Amino acid sequence: MIRGPILAIDTSCDDTSAAVTIGRYVLSNVIASQTELHRPYGGVFPTVAKQAHRENIAPTVDLAMKKARVKWADIKAVAVTQGPGLAPALEVGIEYAQELASQYQKPLIPVNHIEGHILSVLALPKPQRKSWRDLSTTMPKIKNALSVVVSGGHTEFVLIEKLGKYKVLGQTLDDAAGECLDKIGRMLNLGYPAGPVIEEFAKLGDPKAIIFPLPLTTTKTYDLSYSGLKTFARNKLEEMGGVEVLKKQGIYDFAASTQYAVFRHIMYKLSKLLETENVSQVWLGGGVAANATLRRMLRETIRNSKGQVTNPKLLVPYTKKLCMDNAGMIGVAATEITTAINTSFERKPRLKLA
Amino acid sequence: MQILDVNTESTPAVLEQAVNTLLSGGLIIFPTETTYGAGVDATNPEAVQKLLTFKSRREGKPLSIAVSGQEMAEKYVELNDQAKILYRQFLPGPVTVVSNVVTGSVAPGVASEFGTLGVRIPEYQLVLDMVKMLGKPITATSANGSGKPRPYSVETIFKHLSDKQASLVDLVIDAGTLPSNPPSTVIDTTLSTPVTVRSGKIAVDQADNNDHNTLVSTSEDDTLSLAGKRCLMHWGDITEKGLIIGLNGPLGVGKTVFAKGVAKFLGINEKITSPTYSYIQEYDFKRHDTTGKLYHLDMWKVDSKEAFERLELAELMKPGNIVVVEWFDQVTLWLTELNNQAKLGFISIDIKQDGNNRIFKIYD
Repeated sequence: MIRGPILAIDTSCDDTSAAVTIGRYVLSNVIASQTELHRPYGGVFPTVAKQAHRENIAPTVDLAMKKARVKWADIKAVAVTQGPGLAPALEVGIEYAQELASQYQKPLIPVNHIEGHILSVLALPKPQRKSWRDLSTTMPKIKNALSVVVSGGHTEFVLIEKLGKYKVLGQTLDDAAGECLDKIGRMLNLGYPAGPVIEEFAKLGDPKAIIFPLPLTTTKTYDLSYSGLKTFARNKLEEMGGVEVLKKQGIYDFAASTQYAVFRHIMYKLSKLLETENVSQVWLGGGVAANATLRRMLRETIRNSKGQVTNPKLLVPYTKKLCMDNAGMIGVAATEITTAINTSFERKPRLKLA
Repeated sequence: MQILDVNTESTPAVLEQAVNTLLSGGLIIFPTETTYGAGVDATNPEAVQKLLTFKSRREGKPLSIAVSGQEMAEKYVELNDQAKILYRQFLPGPVTVVSNVVTGSVAPGVASEFGTLGVRIPEYQLVLDMVKMLGKPITATSANGSGKPRPYSVETIFKHLSDKQASLVDLVIDAGTLPSNPPSTVIDTTLSTPVTVRSGKIAVDQADNNDHNTLVSTSEDDTLSLAGKRCLMHWGDITEKGLIIGLNGPLGVGKTVFAKGVAKFLGINEKITSPTYSYIQEYDFKRHDTTGKLYHLDMWKVDSKEAFERLELAELMKPGNIVVVEWFDQVTLWLTELNNQAKLGFISIDIKQDGNNRIFKIYD
């Protein structure tokens, strides 16, 4: 357990992020976005990402230190995302973290990015008018909380038996939820990335206009699959005469129905899961966690589970920034890690939760 | 600075004043169906500089322009098929469609550094009339400083402006407090070849030759084993030279399922998910005494030779490796060129859907 400020770094995907945290408190959380840089390539381009991370990493770390108002002498450890993520991008963060750790003689903590998303709900803002020196570093006692991680690259149900001990109860077998929204958005001609456009348009459409099938209702597992929804969307569009003939409202309705179908699949599996597993509370993390409809549907599902969840309040990150790929959550996750402090480790692009 | 209240002034008077201000390089604040906008003549370099100073700390974010209709838009941006469909479906309305700019048609700083430009046709008669009278587009960025609250009333705008920013405003068209509609949704059409065109590609390829095998799969399991059998047929290629498998077919047809079949054959236990965001996923395998790597590629977004070269694929093309390429027709030419040197074994497969069946046309 780390009893003091941690400098955390995340370069798992397209954004370079650095943060300073102490216990659950986020003293600073800086994200240098590369979105503009990646636009001509329509997403993350591995070699470009690497180059941009290299340019961004030092100023991002400096800014995080400055905003947190801590000195290197105060820092107790350096934490960095080891995976999962884009291999060349991860490399940049790990190398820089190793440099810092050896330069300032600090222990180095490798962190699983998904663990970061899971524990992002525990993060707290730094209370104003209070010095970080007066903040508690203890983490809460957690027993059998269930994290629903929903992002562009991940869709998972993870049971937190206790902090540091995780069990993946279900995950997507093909596309992630965010990816499915993106791909159906592409079919609807909504550019790239189309996921955020679907989310906007969904607000204007009727989610029941098109009834999508509910995937994997006959399998007993809590795994998810989105390939069927993609195929259904494509066939439906063809049957309707192609996207060109749709009117504005038709597209809004298609977007709303798609989003509803993608989330309903999660709700169906979640409600099955809550019937059999003992869950103390449901947590939500990941990029899609900021979606208001997803939150509302989760609250409904928890309510309908009839007391199966000890604490029915859905726990979400306190700010949208913590839903994105960010280093703040990596710092919070690193606090609890007692083992695996090590100065030589490699990137693990497909790292699994232990 | 002058403030004109649309409820007390006559519309022609407001329009005349606004157009005169814009013509003389002035900055106006005007209402739209979303928020208040800050507008200058988008073709006037000094006026645009003034606007950029007004917005402050833009960090290279491109502006967008408001035009009166599609005809006007086409003087400033190149509309592809996808964009034309979107114009028909959504404009006028709260949607900004991003296209490639016609070089030199707008002042520096209006288009993005990548030569793209967002275009709006506001669903707001006053603005449409104003732009029509001006005969040129105006910038259509929101009237708040960067990072400040969305501007729904003139009062909120000025509350958050510095004196220096406020001094740059020449005219305000005040329509009271606007309904809190969200800002316009931005749709970027510069990256995507329309899906409709893509799926058409397969349909063209109807001529039945003898240079391929046609196999039908009736289920996902069927596809998995079909993929495995194909790999087995080419096992010699894999161990001696390496193998490229190119997959074509529309979204949702089952390209990733085929890739899973390859992975299963190779004894890879990890879950194979689609490499949409990462372009390349890498997996180690060991089958019998052969060890190697499976590379799973998604080329959907790779639409230029430059982008293709950035992937440094030559490094992957080695004996023992299998390179499965989704959206192969995006890169066929360039990859074939690379392979002329690397000389890997090579299969390409077109996948089509027919009811619940999948039809595989295999060229090997």
